[in-house]
Amino acid sequence: MALGNKTLQDLLGPITKQLDHEAVAESVELPEWEFKAQRVTDGMTHEQLVDKFQEEAEKVRTEVVRCSADGLAAAIAAIVGKGVPETGEACTVIAADDDRFAQCGLYDAIKAQELVTDLTVWDSEQGEECIQAALTATYGITYTTGGIAESATVVQPTSPKCGRAVSLLPLAHIAVVDASAIVPTMFEVMKEYEDKGEKLPSQVCFISGPSATADIELVRVEGVHGPMYVNYVIVE
Amino acid sequence: MAILYNTESTLAERVEACLDDDFKHNAIKNAQEAFYVSRGRLVEEMGDGWQQLRMHAMEVRNHVTENLDYYVKQFAENAEKNGCIMHYAPSGDDALWEVLDVFEKHGAAYAVKSKSMMTEEVGLNEVLEEAGIKITETDCAENILQTAESKPSHIVVPALHFNREAIADIYREKRGYEGSSVPEEITHFLRKILREEFMEAEVGIRGCNFAVAESGSVTLVTNEGNGRMVDTFPKVQIVFVGIDRIVPDLESLDTMMALLPRSAVGAKMTAYFSLDSGPRGEGEADGPEEVHIILMDNGRHELANSEFSDMLRCMRCGACLNICPVYRHITGHGYGSIYPGPMGLVLTPGLVGYDDIDNMVYACSLCGACTEHCPVSIPIHDLVRQHRINIVDQHKNHAIEVPIFKALGLFWSSRPVYLAGMKIGAPVMKVLAHGGNALDASSTWIPVVNSWTSTRDFGVLSETRFRTWFKEHKEQQNNAEGGEQ
Repeated sequence: MALGNKTLQDLLGPITKQLDHEAVAESVELPEWEFKAQRVTDGMTHEQLVDKFQEEAEKVRTEVVRCSADGLAAAIAAIVGKGVPETGEACTVIAADDDRFAQCGLYDAIKAQELVTDLTVWDSEQGEECIQAALTATYGITYTTGGIAESATVVQPTSPKCGRAVSLLPLAHIAVVDASAIVPTMFEVMKEYEDKGEKLPSQVCFISGPSATADIELVRVEGVHGPMYVNYVIVE
Repeated sequence: MAILYNTESTLAERVEACLDDDFKHNAIKNAQEAFYVSRGRLVEEMGDGWQQLRMHAMEVRNHVTENLDYYVKQFAENAEKNGCIMHYAPSGDDALWEVLDVFEKHGAAYAVKSKSMMTEEVGLNEVLEEAGIKITETDCAENILQTAESKPSHIVVPALHFNREAIADIYREKRGYEGSSVPEEITHFLRKILREEFMEAEVGIRGCNFAVAESGSVTLVTNEGNGRMVDTFPKVQIVFVGIDRIVPDLESLDTMMALLPRSAVGAKMTAYFSLDSGPRGEGEADGPEEVHIILMDNGRHELANSEFSDMLRCMRCGACLNICPVYRHITGHGYGSIYPGPMGLVLTPGLVGYDDIDNMVYACSLCGACTEHCPVSIPIHDLVRQHRINIVDQHKNHAIEVPIFKALGLFWSSRPVYLAGMKIGAPVMKVLAHGGNALDASSTWIPVVNSWTSTRDFGVLSETRFRTWFKEHKEQQNNAEGGEQ
């Protein structure tokens, strides 16, 4: 038998009473906001925004490379081709299943790397196997849907073709972002979702650099539960 | 743990113990300085924008508070539309019952948790453990505290009171750690042992920084990524959401997130900010299959439409702790509440009332630094003062102050009595203070005076009156000037 038995009405009743409302309003209009904040990105050209994105990324220990759409496969292959960061040992890779990756020949380019011993492409039908592969993978590669210049953040929604594990479990995350999708602040990203008016993806993760903590004597340590290294690849 | 802990000791005893702990002091001081400096740099970079952001956040949060019933309802309905299973908890106990129901439904016995103050507030861990459920804290600091069986000393970096050696020892003893006391090595050990737990756990329990009414979404701000792990692998997820976490729409999330990490840790963004809308979607291979949202009040509604309604804007960033001179000295454990520091002085009595909080609201010099630094402009020190006014009005604790101040009033309004008092005051007090500079807690045997000295020190009167000193000083100065001419 269930122990909990309270309803939404039980929760709302005391609030409504405390507010001296007769009942919960049918609808509430948002007021015209009086304040709108200036941001450091105000008035920047798109080129400056991309530069700002790169500059901020480097501040949070994220390496940035820029390439053309044609050069994407080569740019990523160059990163994974170095093997495990710092040690240079042989490595494994898991990547999102993305048409743009297939078209630019990324998967073949990765397999051709001497130090890459295994490549897994995310496949929801093989979810458990993919998660296991991600757990031990050196690199996880995703194509993000946008970037935020102010804080060097990439926008990573979950989808059947790109599970949450790809950008979370590997030792290093390589996040690809189109230069054209770099916007000034989080506001523009939120506004776009709002304007679409569709149900949001089950998760949209805003990622800004490597996983980090300062819980022991305030010493910054990277690579706590998520990736220890993050690379952004900007496609121009 | 409930909101109040260590209730068997008095505030004075706790404060004294904390004042004696030099390591804890230095740890808090370093944290305050580190956060303060990096926050300051970011605020400066934004120029006028910072104040406008604060004002905008205030108007958004106030709008929600004024229409709280509407937004709670809208959030609940939209979260349900997203496929979440809603549970309503007017009280903390209701929340516990709902959580136990979820565990029973799934026959689950193993959970991982990412840091959530609301679960601390209701004492969730103790209840689950009593029910035979294993629950692992996965935030580094919280895991250290859980393994050491200790309490948080800061709401953002809760294990500040342990040094690296102590932490290494805790894991050596309890988890077979064999490495050094280098923070990096301990942290990577935690990465390894906790990964196994994330993968095995049946239920993930987490909090929520902001809930979006319009989209029915919950959000989580983390740096370590443990929140993401909790959010990705256990099949069942339980999300604790306070009714004071709601923002109206997605756009206002940007405002809150521009303020929160800057104020909390002096960073533009945390490593991760996730916006979750329902369980895993069709065709997705990770993320929770079932999401239960525990929407909890636990006394918060009483703050609305009251003299403390400003407190409902609080986003738990800890900026007020990072600037507070009192917190710096008595540290997080002195207060005896899971909500310490300036915000805790307002929120704790707001949630639990005045009966059991000792003299907590007097642990404040009313300097106002907290108010100045609060990202949502809560007049924190005014609200602390308001609690004091209420306590005196209700004749609680300090009712004795009424006759004392009456007597002092008489004393100061009669010149002969005052002069006589001053004359005998200094030598008498010197004897009472055993030749020291102040009457402290050791003078509680002295009637009348003890109602003051039991809670604070009383400086010994100087043997020389200021007027006398000033007169002599002036004469000396005149003589000196005369001498030079």
